[in-house]
Amino acid sequence: MSQPVPTQDSGNQASPNKDLRRLVYYSRNRVTGAPAAMDETIRGILAASRTNNARVGVTGALMFNAGCFAQVLEGPGAEVETTFERIQQDERHGEVSLLAFEAVESRLFTDWSMAYVGASPTDAARYGDMAGESGFDLSRMTGDRLCAVLHGLALEEEAAAA
Amino acid sequence: MEGPPTRGGLNGTLSGRMSALAAPSPPATPSFAAALAEMAVPLLLLDAAGTITFANACAAALLACPAPAGLPLPALLAACGAAEPEGGILPEALRAAWPVRSRLTLGDRLVEAALAPLSSGGFALTFEDVTELLRGAALARQEPLTGLCNRVGLHDRLDAALAEAAHSDAPLAVLMLDLDRFKAVNDTLGHPVGDALLRKVAERLRKATRSGDVVARLGGDEFAIIQGGPSSGAEQPQAAEALARRLVDLVGRTYVVDGHMLNVGVSVGVALSPADGRNADDLLKHADLALYRAKAEGRGTYRFFEPAMNAQMQARRSLEIDLRRALALKQFDLAFQPQIQLETGQVVGFEALLRWNHPERGPVSPALFIPLAEEIGLIVGIGEWALRTACREAAGWTQPASIAVNLSPVQFRGGRLVETVMHVLAQTGLDPARLELEITEGALLENTDSVLDVLNGLRALGVKISMDDFGTGYSSLSYLQKFPFDKIKIDQSFVRGMEGNAECGAIVRAIARLGASLGMRTTAEGVETATQLDAIRAEGCTEVQGYLTGRPMPAAQAAALLIPSPAALPADAA
Repeated sequence: MSQPVPTQDSGNQASPNKDLRRLVYYSRNRVTGAPAAMDETIRGILAASRTNNARVGVTGALMFNAGCFAQVLEGPGAEVETTFERIQQDERHGEVSLLAFEAVESRLFTDWSMAYVGASPTDAARYGDMAGESGFDLSRMTGDRLCAVLHGLALEEEAAAA
Repeated sequence: MEGPPTRGGLNGTLSGRMSALAAPSPPATPSFAAALAEMAVPLLLLDAAGTITFANACAAALLACPAPAGLPLPALLAACGAAEPEGGILPEALRAAWPVRSRLTLGDRLVEAALAPLSSGGFALTFEDVTELLRGAALARQEPLTGLCNRVGLHDRLDAALAEAAHSDAPLAVLMLDLDRFKAVNDTLGHPVGDALLRKVAERLRKATRSGDVVARLGGDEFAIIQGGPSSGAEQPQAAEALARRLVDLVGRTYVVDGHMLNVGVSVGVALSPADGRNADDLLKHADLALYRAKAEGRGTYRFFEPAMNAQMQARRSLEIDLRRALALKQFDLAFQPQIQLETGQVVGFEALLRWNHPERGPVSPALFIPLAEEIGLIVGIGEWALRTACREAAGWTQPASIAVNLSPVQFRGGRLVETVMHVLAQTGLDPARLELEITEGALLENTDSVLDVLNGLRALGVKISMDDFGTGYSSLSYLQKFPFDKIKIDQSFVRGMEGNAECGAIVRAIARLGASLGMRTTAEGVETATQLDAIRAEGCTEVQGYLTGRPMPAAQAAALLIPSPAALPADAA
């Protein structure tokens, strides 16, 4: 059933960051064709994300591979909504599954980071340095249950796309 | 006769010329010359050759030219940056001494110029600043919530695009859009969230279209798009199909609004010009028909207009007209199909089935008219009639057999169902325990909680509730958990499939056991052969209903079946 689903608002009034929200989604990667196209897309997304999101206080992590994008966005509710809406209008991906949009007490990602998550050796060689450059820390992801799920999904999507 | 002195700013030579103009008038105050010079309408006087002979203060201010006199009109217009976007018709009108109106752009203003040849020779040229007027007209074509075109604006733009396309024979597409499930958002989360969602939808539509396309909101959750036109170079129908597919994808993606995750979809109907129509009305109507088809075929999809849709819509409309008066003309009837208890072989009840016998159409299939009656809301009245008629009939039976009546999901929406059932029971005097109301999963799909409230209200009256067509819906098991149904009716597709299909047998068995363990009776529907009956019996169903054990029959025959000693199953089946 696809009724509108109100999110559980577990907003903790005592929290100093009561409007802090975390949004988690994954989607199918629609960038096809030569590796160069993928390359350009990925670098473009990283650059755009850094400038756009930093300005409005949205941080997070983007995992990607040939199969999917999997992303965590953290920040003030309205800014996360705006950022996500922009992402939803992007046709370089599709079948976006929104896994969570919830109030949280603190950020898992205080910066903007991005990493290739997958098993393909070619892509690993191509994008392997990106995680280091952007400060991506997988242990933060696997520490959170939902993020760990996201990580698992990313790996499955790559396998499915292969 | 010398005219009165003009005020400073206009020089003597002008006043001299003015005097000729003002000659026939009496020397009175206020003077014509002063009036012309100072009036609030910008005015230029031109000689027969088109040279400015006089400019009043207002005209000088409007044109931002302190001394226009002596300049030819085209030179003046060029000097003050005025342009005639629709082509220079003023110079030609001057040559021909025709009256003409022309619209000029003057910086950020839009000005309407009216040239009038004078009987005394030369011309008067007046100006009117129509910027605000046009802006107001533009606003009147704009929809305030989203800033998109409204219906009037769409019509104008479509007319203009068609006129342009007619010259070049370029194809053009009209897409009609309707959001799926938007009402649920408004109803559950309120209008502010609904409005914010509509703005986001509008933004996605803008994003999905090209700059030359027109996006309009026609009201509520209806939108329309004009795609293409001569400049777009779009190949149709490929471009419209690609756009429709993108719209279904983009608009259907999850929204996050005000902390809520929202899912709506969009259905799209497409009509193409010139193939599907050459005027706005036809195109919009045909796109609407295609939209209707898209919605009927599952929503979240797009359909192109086909000429057959017109005929089908005519047929539907004619059926609707007949259906609307069928109740008043007493064209409905009930047939009663026996329900047999497997253990005893006795008739323990009947299901009342709605029949429509139209004098010219003959019997109309319920599969045809019931969905239509539901769509146009008539099912509420028809359903009430069926309930009352069935209960009255059953109240007259010689044995207290049960009477099953079907309820449409639509009947749950009005909020009056419990009251209606209560009245009918009171009117007919039927023991509530003999009434079985059958619902399908469709009734539970929307607003499950409020439907459960109604079901509990009905149960409180003492009537029984059955789950009909079990196994064909989406999540039957969860509904069984949510409401303690008295009876499960196993869909006939499983019963028919039992011969030669092990899976069907397994499903029937599982449902029968499920019913037994939940304390619900199970009725196998659609039993047609003795082999099926044996299988049903073996799987542990409690009741059976089908052509083998009794076809739907007229009321009198059903009543008669209950008069003699208990009716047995056919000899070969018992």
